[in-house]
Parts: sequence; structure tokens; C-alpha cells
Amino acid sequence: MAKQLGFYVNLANCIGCKACEIACKDRKGLPAGVRWRRVYEYSGGEWIASGNQHVPSDVFSYYVSTACMHCEKPICVEVCPTSAIRKRDDGIVVLNSDNCIGCRYCSWACPYGAPQFNEEAGVMTKCDFCVELQERGEKPACVDACPMRALEYGDIEELKAKHGGLTAVAPMPDPSLTNPAIVYGPHKDVKSAHYRGGQLKNID
Amino acid sequence: MVTREWALLIFTILGQMASGALLTLMLIRAFAIRKTNVQQANRLTDGPLFIVVPIMALALLASLFHLGNLINITKAVPNLGTSWLSREVIVAVVFVVLAALYTFLQWRKLSTELIRATIGWIAALVGQFQTIAMIMVYMIRTQPAWNTFATPITFLVTSFLLGVLVVAAALVATRAIGDETQTDLLRSTLRGIAITSIALVGVEFVVLPIYVLYLSTQGASALQTMSSMFGTYTAVLVLRLLLVFVGGGVLGAYLYENAANGKERNLALLVYSAFILVLIAEAMGRFLFYATHYSIGL
Amino acid sequence: MNEGNFLTNTLTDVALTRRSFLKWSAALGGTAALAGGLNFGLKTVEKAAAASIEDVKTVACYHNCGGRCVLGAVVKDGTVVRIVADPTEEKDPITNPRAIPCQRGRAQIRRVYAPDRLKYPMKRVGKRGEGKFERISWDEALDMIASELQRIKKQYGQESIFFMQGLGEMWTGPEGRSPITRLLRLFGGHVEFYNNYSFAAFQAAMPFITGGSRANCGNYVNDILNSKLVVLFGDNSCVTRAGGDNAGYYYVKAKEHGVKFIVIDPVYTDTAIATAADWVPINGGTDVALIAAMAYVMVKENLYDKEFMAKYAVGFDEDTLPEGAPANSSYMAYLMGTGYDKIPKTPEWAAPITGIPAERIVQLARQIATTKPCAMFQGWGIQRRAYGEQAVRAVPTLAAMTGNFGIKGGSPGLRPTIMPFKMGGFPLPKNPVTASIPLYLWTDYIFRGKEMTNGARDKIKGAEKLGANMKFMWNHAGNTVLNQHANINRTKKLLEDDTMLEMLVSYEVAMTPTAKFSDILLPATTGFEVESIITGEGHAEKGGRQFALFNHQVIEPMYESKNTLWVMEQLADRLGIGEEFRDGHMTRDDWMRDMIKVSQEAYPDFPSLEKFKEMGVYKITADKVMVAFAAFREDPVANPLETETGKIEVYSPGLVRFNEPDEIPAIPLYIPEWEGVNDPLRKTFPLQMSGYHAPQRSHSTFDNTDYLREALPQMFWINPLDAESRGIQNGDQVKVFNDRGATFVRAYVTNRVRPGAACLAQGAWYTPDQNGMDTNGSINMLTNEHPTPLAKGTTQHTTLVQVEKA
Repeated sequence: MAKQLGFYVNLANCIGCKACEIACKDRKGLPAGVRWRRVYEYSGGEWIASGNQHVPSDVFSYYVSTACMHCEKPICVEVCPTSAIRKRDDGIVVLNSDNCIGCRYCSWACPYGAPQFNEEAGVMTKCDFCVELQERGEKPACVDACPMRALEYGDIEELKAKHGGLTAVAPMPDPSLTNPAIVYGPHKDVKSAHYRGGQLKNID
Repeated sequence: MVTREWALLIFTILGQMASGALLTLMLIRAFAIRKTNVQQANRLTDGPLFIVVPIMALALLASLFHLGNLINITKAVPNLGTSWLSREVIVAVVFVVLAALYTFLQWRKLSTELIRATIGWIAALVGQFQTIAMIMVYMIRTQPAWNTFATPITFLVTSFLLGVLVVAAALVATRAIGDETQTDLLRSTLRGIAITSIALVGVEFVVLPIYVLYLSTQGASALQTMSSMFGTYTAVLVLRLLLVFVGGGVLGAYLYENAANGKERNLALLVYSAFILVLIAEAMGRFLFYATHYSIGL
Repeated sequence: MNEGNFLTNTLTDVALTRRSFLKWSAALGGTAALAGGLNFGLKTVEKAAAASIEDVKTVACYHNCGGRCVLGAVVKDGTVVRIVADPTEEKDPITNPRAIPCQRGRAQIRRVYAPDRLKYPMKRVGKRGEGKFERISWDEALDMIASELQRIKKQYGQESIFFMQGLGEMWTGPEGRSPITRLLRLFGGHVEFYNNYSFAAFQAAMPFITGGSRANCGNYVNDILNSKLVVLFGDNSCVTRAGGDNAGYYYVKAKEHGVKFIVIDPVYTDTAIATAADWVPINGGTDVALIAAMAYVMVKENLYDKEFMAKYAVGFDEDTLPEGAPANSSYMAYLMGTGYDKIPKTPEWAAPITGIPAERIVQLARQIATTKPCAMFQGWGIQRRAYGEQAVRAVPTLAAMTGNFGIKGGSPGLRPTIMPFKMGGFPLPKNPVTASIPLYLWTDYIFRGKEMTNGARDKIKGAEKLGANMKFMWNHAGNTVLNQHANINRTKKLLEDDTMLEMLVSYEVAMTPTAKFSDILLPATTGFEVESIITGEGHAEKGGRQFALFNHQVIEPMYESKNTLWVMEQLADRLGIGEEFRDGHMTRDDWMRDMIKVSQEAYPDFPSLEKFKEMGVYKITADKVMVAFAAFREDPVANPLETETGKIEVYSPGLVRFNEPDEIPAIPLYIPEWEGVNDPLRKTFPLQMSGYHAPQRSHSTFDNTDYLREALPQMFWINPLDAESRGIQNGDQVKVFNDRGATFVRAYVTNRVRPGAACLAQGAWYTPDQNGMDTNGSINMLTNEHPTPLAKGTTQHTTLVQVEKA
């Protein structure tokens, strides 16, 4: 089987600081509105009456840092009308903006919001796994940026062997759609991808 | 909905109208030839035929507004292997070229009737393939609100409904006055169009509740679609249904009733009103299609 | 075009588009470099410039964030194109972690290249605060400042000159505050301030509980890896001590090692999330009541360390009360209902106050008393409240009762000790003016300075009274004046009258709200534009590690900005004290060589200045984990505490002498707050709102930084129960108000804040609409300038508000 690079995201240690997102934007000089890596907050539970007080009942919250999943079955590659997106031998899904006509069909198709539209240039852009850094032996910007060391990268099978097989968590979509190259470290309150009791709290 | 989605709305509505119209015209021709002869058929449909290419051209023009980058369009290497969008683009271009060729040949009566008819039917089939491509563009596994039986049915209904009504309007507009054979042909054609229109509206009213029922059994993003359809956009939905009911249904029935012996001027008004109402209704329907979709996931 | 309008126009253009970004860079002649360096995500992978050896230079993240991290600036053709994390090697994640910068450090480029940078010196032309300025030359600006200093000194006396607190940059030297202090002192002196907005109550209460005045005097933070349980009172270190080798990091590491965490906070904090903590949602300002109730349970159930309290503490019970203390004045008497208010501090008593069910309090008391060792920490948030001093003293009392004082894996209930880095500073002569005001009272100094004395109301230090009202203020890299002090509307009114404070000079990088209220604006260099030295000391809780960092100048000063040292030298020349100011130091290197002499003496391998520049960062590591008060624990007689009694003062005779028993009691007392949980004012303003330290800013620094605004928008936290009854949904624009002011901000409807409580991050820049209402979620539209009783410190977390859908 061909090598497939992927990310490990340790939900347990994520403090939701967004250093990964900012480092990505800084590394790639992304303009406003283009966020290759985003950190989602998933929260739930409720406050119930207990005597004269309200007490929390199953109140939970955790963050999920998400970039391109470099899926094994990348739907963006499938649907792109111009072949601007392709999957490399190492599994990295790359987008050549020079061939993009800006139809944004990939952003409709991608369940992870990975392809991001650059309004000014009129083309799509997306996480390229900092392939230029990897080529000279450095970590992707987001991985190197995490103050909590909650992000790792590498061959996805090796990551799974090291960190277990948790590949789907709420609020992420069913991984069978695209086979994302991702493995999660569980937060104590992590919910399954089928869980419907929580809310995505990000406002934009 | 930003400008770019409006562009898509216009592209799909007009594109489907154009392919529906060409198919309708080919069918009417076949019917007219059987009933009378080629010359009568030509007299009936040669005028309305001129609407197909401009509508399709307008559709393609609109589609360009959806694109963020027109410079790169020259570099676009179509990904026909897996991308329905790619196929849609190719098919749309082939369709407009074939339709234009057919219109030109038919106008100048070049080549033989057989060859012209063959080209016409091929163009009409490509037009249908275009509708299929449009449908498949939205049948993506990560978009549960779109990836249902309702998308093909509603797209096809839109195509045929707008197709027959725009043809009806064109027939009425270009009708030969004082020619009894033509008038008879027109009147029976309008009756057929009226029945088709009523039936298609019927389909729309059957599909909607089933679609809603289906959505309610699906995941979170499907539920979001529902809540947006019956929340933010209730007014649009109700108005759209009302318009299509009045335009395609009530006016259709009235047209059917009066096609045989009504005053020509009244019939014309009836046909124009029905077309306008249904066009607005279908555009609203397509607006809802885009506005109420929610991706699965993020 | 009027310069003032130009500036206003620039200010309204908040969004930094690529176009405007390129526009200014073109003005600087850097377009080509920039376009080459920043690819805006458009480059195809194949074409990305790979394997080019990048020029990385260490630069500091030099703000008042609570951390201290190492940045690498990647420089290309005179432009910083990106930031990389601490380029030094991580030999071990526990003993030698990299100082990986947080989100703010990563966004530093966007702050340096922000479109609202101050570009040239300006003087006010309209009314103060109107925002109308006129461009002037540096010569004009410096001449004006020099003549105003001389005029005001002559007219009102030396005590009319104030050097305001400002922590936008925190250099060890030769940049930062010290050159200004040096200049003003050589000029005859200026009124000083003591304490700060961060931990005034902490500092004031410390002498009366464990002694000394350092807020950071607990075990090294990495010692929590030896704890079994960590209890955090309002401590959100993952946010307030962020970065890859500070307290928050060690908290998360401890959790990984199996240490259990309890977070006592009205908010389910990011720290609670990342430490898998048990959350105890408490009403703001009631920590002392919770501690009293837990202490009650521990006493009743015989779970506290009796021997320890008898041997090491004063006034815990009647037996250890100091001589002369009245009967029933001990903490025990207070707990058992025989003392102060004659009410037993049962869990049932505390439940309605704290909002924590009685049975939960009992359970918590048992868990804390029986899990050993247990480390308790207090964040500084719990003391920026109406009676902050009580909380400061209550937590160490609990730490002592549970015997966790002075042991490995325990803690004295304070903040971890920061290992110092020995580095010389910028030399400061003695200040001829000895008077010093409590910082929080600086606005009073403007309109009633002459009335302020060393009495209980104002607590002036160093003099019996002030000789003048404030007439001249130097504001350096600070936005406290308008934005960070409580009650902006009040401050605004005070400042608008320019017959009171006559001259406000601001040295600043951007058009902050305070800059807008200044009379003379001096465009400052950022850290990228100047050589300087910074150590982590005084700030970052890094356990037994510390570093000194050489901050390289990586770009030319932007526009006409100038560094502080240059400005002060120029000013000194104009005031005729140039020679004294320089004292033989002709270059920046001369000052730095003097500074590092101290380091070279302390650390034998500390390099020469040239070598230090090359190395960029010099790190030191302690050979063992420091346990605070271990010697005291071993032998309290030989190693007494720095308190008056030498012991842990649960009862403080020093506090008795203030003779204000209701607000400055001898024991840590639960004093119901004004605008607190049980204030009848809650009928009008029902929500207890506290500020918090935003991850998107360091106080008010970075509020103009687009990347951070996008990733971490300013939000008003409100519980769904409170939101629903007001028709507010997540993301809605809301109006938060009380009788001091109003602010518009978006709502974050979340179960992570308890019902009745609300949060708004401090530091957002006051951005008024036509009616003077803020549109940017600036919390000080709502806060109260009323100080704490003992410290005269800030109470900005004690605020009642109402909220409605905007």
C-alpha cells in the first residue's frame, strides 16, 4: 500500500488557543477569511435545577483542530472539473491554484471545509501539509506551533499504531465518506461522530 | 446567497429551460409532421426554435459569473474521468453548439430534412444529458440535502415544465395568423402542453412531502436543511408553491379548457402568464435548493 | 488633506487587505521582497521555494502576557516573512521544553505590519480625545515635550510629573521603561506608583499571611508532576500563562501523568478542558465562603492537619492566637459560629452564597483533605475583586490546614516561584521625588492629588502627601490610561478637561484609545525594529528554568518610528542632562555590555555580547525542583517566615492595626461584595460579570491584529438559561450595560459559564459610536473604579450588568 501521510490531533491536550491556525496563516501568508486550519469548539450538556440552584449536568467541551484531512478518497479530487487538485504518492492532497477556475465546487463537496476560497485571487487554496517544510525535514507549521504538543504528523498507519484507532469524533462527519487520514487522541468527554447532543460553538 | 450562487441559479434554470425547450420542440415537430407535413411543422416550430440558443447562451454567460477566476479557464483541463462538473461544462458547450447548428441549418434549410432532424434529435439528447450532468453535480455523498431522489426529479420537472411553457409562449408569440391548419396545430399543441404542465406540477406536489419526510430521517445537516426550509424560508417556500400551482396548475387547466376554442388573444395572455409565474416559482425553488443546503460536517 | 482626517481614515480601514498591505510596503520599497516572501497560499506545492536556507534570528515576544517565549524571525530581503517557534532543541519535554510561542507570538508580524501603526510624530489639534492630529517633525515634538516639562516643573513642581504604568513592552533593557525613568529622575524626579492592575491585593495581603510581597513564591510549577491532586481557584494558566514551557504547559503535562485536577471557577476554562478537570462552578467573589465551609467540614470530620496548624500557624484556633488578641477572634471561632458573625460556616451556609450544593462542598472538602500531596493555586482573578485580599489569604490557609505547605507535590496556595535570571538592568539613579501612589488611584491624582495623603483612603507611600495634582503624564507603550482603567466614561471626562492634566505624551506603536487622547504622539519601534535584551524573569512560571534572549533588530524602523533610547537621549540633550544620561555610554552595545556583566559573573559560561547576539538565547536550568517554605517546615524557629510572627498568619496582628475590622479583618473573612452575588442591585443588573485574560490579546496589546481577531473574536459569555430568557442566541449582537456605560459585542451562549454569571475578556479597544457607546466589547465601559480596602487595588472583576439583544 502506498504511504499515506496524516495528522494526529490529541483532543485531550488541546487548549483551543489557535496557535496552529495562526502559525498556518503566518507560514502561508493567508489573507482574512482563508483559514486552512481551524479549531472547532464542541460543547454540550445542560444546567438543571437542584433545589434553589442550578447545577451542570454532563456539561462538556472540547476542541477539535482541523485542517485538510488528506483523505484516502478525496472527494475534492473527484469533483474538481479542472484537475487542479491531485493526490500525491505520499497521500498529500495538493491544489494547484494556477489551474483553478474558482468554481468552489470542491468546497461544497469537502465535508471538512478544507478548500478555502481566496476572494481576491478568485481561486481555491488549501492546506498543502507544508510539503516544502517536510521536504527539508521540518515539521508542518501547525504541528511545530502547538504549545501543548497536541499535534503530530506522519504515516497514518504508524500514527494509528502509536495512538490508537480513533478516527471519527463529533462534530466530524462520517469518515467512511472520504477516509480521512486522521487519528484523534480522546478527550475525556469526547463524543462519537454519531452523537447529536452537542453544538458547534464557533460563530464563523 | 452571494452573487456567485445567483449565477448558478440562472445557469441551471436557463440551461434546463433550454434543453427542455429543445426536446419539447422536437416532440412537437414529430407530432406536427405526423398530423400534417414537414412544411407545416416547419412553419409551427421554426420561429420558436430561435429561443433555444439565446437562452442557453445566457445560461453559459451567467455561469461565468460563478467562477472566481476567468484567466485560468484557459488552463482548465477537464477532469472528465471523475468530475460531473467537468462533464457538465463540456456537455453544455456541445449542447449549445449542436443547438446552434441545428437552428442554423433549419433556418437556412441546408442539408436534408433527415440530417437536420438527426442533428436536432442529437442536440435534444445532449440537452437531456446536460440535465443529467447538472443533477449529478449535486448528487454528492457529502451533501445529504442534495444527494436524494428529489434532486433528479425536481431538476427534470423544472426542465420540462419551463421547457414546455417557454415553447408555448414562443409558439403563441410567433403564431401564423389566419392560417387554419397552423391554428389547429397550435391549439392541439397547447392542449398537450397544458396537460403536461398540470402533470408536472402534480409531480412537484407529490415529491415535496416525500422529500421532507425523507430528510427528517437523515442526519443533522439534513435536519438543518429542514429547519431552514420551514423556518427562515417558509415564506419563499409557500409563495413558490402557490405560484407554481397557479401558473402551471390553475392556468394550465384553464388553458386546457380554452385551447380548443378560446380567443387567441386570451390564450396568448394565459400562456405568457403561466410561463412567467412558473419561471418565478422555479427560480424561487432553485433559490431554496441552494439556500437551504447544509454540508455534512463542517 | 488634514492629517487628522487622514489618520481617522486609516483607523477606520481596520481590515488589512493584501492590497493595503502591499501599499505600505511599496511605500517602504519592499514590495518585491514581500511578494516574493508571502505567497498568500496561492503557490503550488511544486513551485514553493524549497530547501532555501532561511535567515532566522531570535526576536522576543515582549509583552505582559504572563508567559515569555522565544520567536525566530525569518528575514528575507529586509522583511520578516514569518515566525518560527523557539529554534533551540528540545532535549526533554519536562526538564527542557522549547519556549514555543502561543497564538499571539505567531501573529507578531501582523502587529508589526498593522495598517494603523503610528507613522510619524503628531500633536493634537482638536479637543482632547477627538482624534484630530497634525503631523510634526521629531525636532518639533521633542522641543515641545522639553519645554512643557520645564514649564510644568516650574509652574506646578516636580510632583506634578507622573510616569504612567504601561506594559506593552517589557524589556530588561536598554529599551523599555528604564531609559524614561532614568531621564525623568535626572530631570528632578517624578511621582512613582506602587502595585499594579495584576496582583495589587495579592502583594498587599502577602505580608500578612506567608510574608514577603512576591506573588510568585510557591513551589516551582514543575513540582505539580509530584502532586496527586491540583486545585485551581480561578486559575486559567493554560491561557494566562500560555506558551510551550510555562505553567499551563506543566498543568497539561501533569494531567498526562495522571494528576487529577479540580477547577473552582464560574467558568469551565480552557485549562479545565485540557486538564480533564472536575469543574466546581462557583459564584464570583465567594471563594472565601467556599474555603470557610470546606474548613468547617475538615474540622468537623477531623480531617485537617492539627499538628501542623498548632506548630506553624497563628490564630487558626484560640490556642494559637497572638498575645492581646480578643477571645473568639480566631479562624476556628469564625468557622464554628462562636466568632466574628456568630454563624457556623456550614456547607448549608455556603451553598446559597457560592452556588455550590452543600453535599458537593462536603465531598470536595473530603477529597482535598485526604488526597496528598495536593497543590492549590490561586489565579490572580479572584483578588481583582471588591475584597480581593480575603481570597489571597484564604487559599494558603486551606493549603496549611491540609498540610500541603512546604512539601514536595504540595503548595502554599499561592503562585509558583519564578527562577530569576541574573541580568543587569538599565541603571537608574535615585528618584528625588519619593512620593508613590497606589496605581489604581492615578485618576484621583489628576483632580485631587494635592489632597492625597498616606492615610487610609489613599495610602500614599514615601511621603505624607502629594504636593501637586498630576499635570504631565508620560505614557509609554501603555493603554491603561483610557482603555484598561475602570470606568472609561469617567476617565474620558477627566481627560477631556485639559486644564487638569495639561500634557499627555504617548510613545506608542498604534492608534490605541489612549493614543487618541494624547497631546503628543511619538511613533514607537516594535521589537522587530530595535536591538534589546529580555529575560523571562519576573513573569513566566517556567519551573526551574529561565532564559535571556537577545532580540535582534530584523527590519529597519517603520516609517519615522524611533526607539526609546534614542528618544530619551535626544530629550536629555534638550533638557541639558545629555551627559548625565549617557554616562559614558555612547552606543546601545555599551549599555548592553554593562547589563550582561551581571550574567557573566553569575554564569561562568555566559558569552560575550557578540557571541550572545550570535546565540540569540541563553537558557539556564535548576538542578532540582524548588519546594517553597521547605526550610520553614523543617524548622520554623530557625527559618521563620517573613511575617511579623514568623509563622503562617491565619490571624494577622498587622492587619488588626489598620483598625478597619469590617473591610480589613485579621482572619480571611467572607465579606459580601458590593455588586456581588447577593447585592440587591442584581434586580436591575442581574449578571455578575467578570473580565478574563483573552487568548487573543495580551491585555490590550494585539487588539488591532487581524489574524487574532479572526481566530478568537471578542465575545460575551452567557449561560443558555440567561440567554434564552432574553431571546439571545449564540453569535447574536448584544448590548451589555449598567449605569456606568454600555458596550456592544457578540454573545457566546455557553454552558461553560454558570447561570447568573457572565464574562467579557478585558483589553478590547474602546471604539465608540456616535452616542459614546462602545462597539468593541470594551469591558471598562462597565467596571467600577472603587478600589480594594487594603491594597487600593483594582476591583474590575466585581461588576453587575444587564444584557439585551442589540
